[in-house]
Amino acid sequence: MIFGLLGVMNFAHGELYMLGAYAGIAVIGVTHSFWVALIAAPLLVAALGAVTEVATLRPLYRREPLYGLILTFGLALVFREGARQIWGGDMRRVLPPVTGSTPLLGMTYPNYRLFLLGASSALLLLIWLFFTRTRAGVLVRAAVQDAEMLDGLGVNVPRLFTLTFAGSAALAALAGLLLAPVFTVYPQMGVEMILLAFIVVILGGMGSMGGSVVAALVIGTAQSLFSLWMNPQRVAIAIFAIMIVVLIVRPRGFFGREGVLE
Amino acid sequence: MKRIASAVVLTTVAALAVVAAPAVSQPKVVKIGDLGSKVGVFEGYGKYQTMGIQMAVEELNAKGGVLGHRIEILSEDDETKPAPAVRKAEKLILQDDVKLLVGVVSSGATMAVMDVTKKHKTIHWNSVSCAEFMRTTKFHKYYFSNQPDSRMQANGLAKYIVDKMGKRVYIFYTDYAMGQSDGRQFKTALEKLGGEVVGVAGAPLDTKDFSPWFGAINQAAPEVLFLAFAGTDSLRLMTQLHSFGMTRKYKLAGIDCFLLQQDLPSIAEPMEGFVQLNHFSAYNPDKSMQAFNAKFRKRFGVDANIAAGAYDAVHFWAAAVEKATSFDPDRVAEAHEGMCREETHIGRQCIRKEDHQVVMDMHLYQVKGGKNIPIARIAGTDSIGEPMVGRDPVEGFSWEIKKKN
Amino acid sequence: MSRVVTWRVLVAFVALAALPALPGIPTYYLLLAFDALLFGAIAMSLDLLMGYTGLVSFGHAAFYGLGAYATAILLERGVLSLWACLGGALVVVGVYAAIVGYFATARRGIYFALLTLIFAEVVYTFFRYTQTFGGSDGIQGLPDAHLWRGVPIDTPQRKYYLVLVYLAVAYAICRVVVTSHFGRVLVAIRENEDRARFLGYRVQRYKMAACMISALLTGLAGAIYPMRAAFATPDLMLWTESGEFIISVMIGGLGTLVGPILGGAFFTILRDKVSSFVDWYFIVIGVVLVLIVLFMPKGLLGIRRLHGFRQWRQGA
Repeated sequence: MIFGLLGVMNFAHGELYMLGAYAGIAVIGVTHSFWVALIAAPLLVAALGAVTEVATLRPLYRREPLYGLILTFGLALVFREGARQIWGGDMRRVLPPVTGSTPLLGMTYPNYRLFLLGASSALLLLIWLFFTRTRAGVLVRAAVQDAEMLDGLGVNVPRLFTLTFAGSAALAALAGLLLAPVFTVYPQMGVEMILLAFIVVILGGMGSMGGSVVAALVIGTAQSLFSLWMNPQRVAIAIFAIMIVVLIVRPRGFFGREGVLE
Repeated sequence: MKRIASAVVLTTVAALAVVAAPAVSQPKVVKIGDLGSKVGVFEGYGKYQTMGIQMAVEELNAKGGVLGHRIEILSEDDETKPAPAVRKAEKLILQDDVKLLVGVVSSGATMAVMDVTKKHKTIHWNSVSCAEFMRTTKFHKYYFSNQPDSRMQANGLAKYIVDKMGKRVYIFYTDYAMGQSDGRQFKTALEKLGGEVVGVAGAPLDTKDFSPWFGAINQAAPEVLFLAFAGTDSLRLMTQLHSFGMTRKYKLAGIDCFLLQQDLPSIAEPMEGFVQLNHFSAYNPDKSMQAFNAKFRKRFGVDANIAAGAYDAVHFWAAAVEKATSFDPDRVAEAHEGMCREETHIGRQCIRKEDHQVVMDMHLYQVKGGKNIPIARIAGTDSIGEPMVGRDPVEGFSWEIKKKN
Repeated sequence: MSRVVTWRVLVAFVALAALPALPGIPTYYLLLAFDALLFGAIAMSLDLLMGYTGLVSFGHAAFYGLGAYATAILLERGVLSLWACLGGALVVVGVYAAIVGYFATARRGIYFALLTLIFAEVVYTFFRYTQTFGGSDGIQGLPDAHLWRGVPIDTPQRKYYLVLVYLAVAYAICRVVVTSHFGRVLVAIRENEDRARFLGYRVQRYKMAACMISALLTGLAGAIYPMRAAFATPDLMLWTESGEFIISVMIGGLGTLVGPILGGAFFTILRDKVSSFVDWYFIVIGVVLVLIVLFMPKGLLGIRRLHGFRQWRQGA
């Protein structure tokens, strides 16, 4: 899962994920192509994200980050209900662009899930390259560390933040559409996802991208390992138990640094 | 502090104003409550329930209403959760003084609402929920149901499965009131008929990813996979089963209300061959059903479905009120008992006196090309079972799998 | 009268106490008033943490839900005494709050919010997936609790007075807390935690104590809820419920105590009234919340009190 990585604690992120799926359905309706939608939907949601950021979040950057949390909770309500009004509460299906299944390790896996595995790994790699190898990526990281310093260096920080937010919105939308054929699409779909994202971010350590990736992998692996010998209902509880243990032993998560966003 | 105090005063005044308002009511109107899911897993069912009620009320009002009162519908949303369901039921009964409450969809919420209708003596019809507690331990005088409950469904379905589909069955159910009840009753019925349950598993209501359960199902290697799910859970489950190639590997069967007819075309391919119990299908050649469907189509532009029950419920209630010549809940409830109506969506139906269950024929359908095609009809008298009011329907039951050596 | 209880508040309580005596008041409004006051009381307890100590908890629904389950489990097993239920809730919520509080108060700002959120989610998941406590259906069909042997709290009037008494006690406790030396230390922590620490206060102990008081009051509210609704379900602990508590505090005004009571009551009545007419009321609530955060960050009634609010955000 690739979202919530940018250090923006955003309750509406799950709703952007949901909107990505709906935007994807709309685009598929016009073009009949999943692949076109995969490009167009994130762009649409990124645009919405940018507008939202400028209109509501920008005035808040100089205030306590908690306000951002409360504000985005309100935004989430608006997006969710808005989607229900526009598209109705019925569940929508998106047909997977890749069909068939492959036998693997004694189980049969749908090809689309294997495709997802590949696609998300590729995306992770791209994001990692972006943050470490490009100027823009380095600037974003710098801004998370010390926005004022960056401002002093003549970088347009508000614009940078807007772009960052739009970028993370696009990623959320991309995830929403990619997962749509597996989880189906409905207005409440973002609510569960956002919690998972928060957990990943906290476990990984706030502000550490690598940490989030590791945490996501750990949770995913633990989940599938546990379901081998446990009732899947218990797995959900076990995952939380692990998380609490981690937080007790390493309060800042796997790779958290002192003082980020505190 | 002044501001705060004045705010308190203002709020109180406002509250009083609201309280005073409903005192002025129009004469000769009787209100009925439509409580259904408009948000959540069972959203679709709530929507069609409203349509069914609406159609019945329009017909009744065109004939001068009931006991000379025009019927007015008040619709409320239960958000598919017990807490809002109870709050809304209280509102409908205590504030709006409804004489009939139809609802709700989720069995968990229905049982919570039954406590309210029992306490405030309100006629309560249910046409969707099917947990077995509702006509046994939870049963009360004012509660009526024209949805076959788990026991009826299990009796009907188990026989067909054992005879025609296969004896080794895996039971996969939603882990809440309805699914547990369906799974339990089905297991009991199947084992009685000589079938073998090779595995059972429950997934919570509103599960997103069912694939963690698939490994165990494959290991048990059943012939038939029995699914007790409903609403959006069913849609998601079928999509995922299909992508794992399991819809072709096993024969599939499921409960009433597994999926609405309206959802079938979009999921036609995974559902192909699915055997489902349902009391209504637009593709059933039965004359009464076709007539009802034509009426429904004309009014709403879509095929009718399980919501036919809500339509019948309102008519049953109206007939009982006319018979009792009063809206008094005790008299209306007694008038219901043993009552038969000729013109329900499937012709003649009767309400059994002992547990207020409508004795109804059930139909088995197989999905072909996104349509429910009838394959068998089971007489209601064969499946309803003995009345068990006040007796625990799960006594002595165990999920344990009996190994056949 | 002292600083603790002003005349106006007393008048308001007397007015509320007279409500059931009004001729022709429909029973339904008493039940709605019950919900409104209970919600208001929870918002007030949260305000103790949010408004005075500067800690935003996104996990109050867990305290509420645990309290409700404590009562539900006892009532289900035939323990009908109100006092036993309240006591049971205090113990359960107290233990849980101590654990959460210990870890969460070690952190500041957004970390506190997220830790409370995650702990609450653990509790939610546990009750939702544990069939012993009814799974996602919760525990239903509970009998009425008894004030003492032979005096059941069965009529809407009695239930209403139960919640009113609870609100009065909770308000008194909150007032005593915020007007005491302890309360002023909390405000000092909110204003500047480091400075409070340098002045020799054991900051975490104070935060922990505030957290416990707030959690226990919320847990008591939860314990009362099943006595009116006759059930407890996991939905009571869903994180969106915590969000609604926060919305109520924000509507009412941070750091005012009375404000959140009104906010909570307003929110409950709004939801009840509006949802019967339009099904998009959540959009309205969302927009209201966004506007409040943007233009009135202290809430509708919080303008007078918090002069030092600017420091609050800097301190975090």
